[in-house]
Amino acid sequence: MNEREFKRHAFKLLLAWLALLVLMLSSLGSAYLSLGVGNLIAGVAIATVKSSIVALLFMRLARSSATVRLVAVVGIATWLLLAGLSGVDYATRSRQPAAFQLPRQLPSLAPEQEPR
Amino acid sequence: MNANAAAREHPHDAGGREPPREIGQLGMWVFIASEILFFGGLFVAYVYGRSHWPNGFAQASRHTDVVLGTLNTGVLLTSSAVIALAVACAESPAFRRWTARLLWLTAALGVIFIVIKGMEYRKEWHEHLFPGPGFELDAGGAQLFFMLYFVMTALHALHLAIGIVGVSLFAWATGQAKSWAPPRRIDIMALYWHFVDVVWIFLYPLLYLVERHS
Repeated sequence: MNEREFKRHAFKLLLAWLALLVLMLSSLGSAYLSLGVGNLIAGVAIATVKSSIVALLFMRLARSSATVRLVAVVGIATWLLLAGLSGVDYATRSRQPAAFQLPRQLPSLAPEQEPR
Repeated sequence: MNANAAAREHPHDAGGREPPREIGQLGMWVFIASEILFFGGLFVAYVYGRSHWPNGFAQASRHTDVVLGTLNTGVLLTSSAVIALAVACAESPAFRRWTARLLWLTAALGVIFIVIKGMEYRKEWHEHLFPGPGFELDAGGAQLFFMLYFVMTALHALHLAIGIVGVSLFAWATGQAKSWAPPRRIDIMALYWHFVDVVWIFLYPLLYLVERHS
C-alpha cells in the first residue's frame, strides 16, 4: 500500500467508524419509540447493517477471494438453516407448563429385609 | 525437477517461501464459521425465550444498564476501527511505525470494555438479577433472560480476553520487529477481533434495547 492508497483507505475507515457510531445511536433512539414489533426489526436491521460494514470494510470481505467469501457465506447459511429447522419444532409445539412440585423422597421399591 | 516446477506442484511447500496470503485468512474464516454456529445456538435459545415469554424478556431487559451497554458498544466499535487502521499501517511502509501503538490501543480498549462489563455484573449481582434463589423479578421468563444474558456476555468476554492477549502479543512482537509477526498475521488476528465485535453488535439490541419505551 503506497502513501496515497493508505490515506484513502484510512479516510474510508474513519467514515465507517463514524457511520457505526451514528447507527449505534439510532439503534438506541429507536428503542425509545413505541413501534411494536418494529422495535425488534429496527434493532436487528441496524445490527445487520453495522455487521456488514465491519465484515465488508474492516474484515475486507469485499476484496477477499471467492474461497474466503464462500466460507463466510456458508457459515451464515448453515446457521440460518439450523436455526430455521429448530424453529419449525419450537414454533409449532404447544407449551404446557406443569405445576411446580417440591422434590420429595419416595419410599424404596426394594423388599424390606427382615431384622434378624 | 527444477524449483519452479516443484513450486507449481506443491504451492504451499515452495522451499520456505511465504505461503499465499489467502491461506491464513481462509483458516481464520473457517474458525469464524464454526464460531457463528457456536454463538448461533445461543441466539436460537434467545429467540425461543423471547417469543414464548415476551413480557418477562421486556421486564428483564429494562433492568440492564443501557448507559454502560451503549458506552461499551462504542468502545468495541472504536477498537475495531483502530485495529483495521493498524493492519493498514502494517502494510504501508511509510506508516509502519504506528502499527504497534495502534495494536496496544486496541488491546487497551478491550480491557476498558471488560472493566465496564465487570462494573455491570457487580451492579446486577447487588440488584439480585443473577438467576437463582432470591431473584428480584417476578415475570415468567425474566430469569431465563438473565441466564442467557450472563452466559452470552460471559462467553463474549472470554473471547475478548483471548483477543486482548493475542493483540497484545502482536503489539509487543511488532514493536520488537519479531519475524513471526508479519503484516499478514496481524491481519488474521484482526479478523478474530472484528468477529468478536460483530457478536457484540447483535447482543447490544437484543439484550439492552427490548421494550425500552414502556
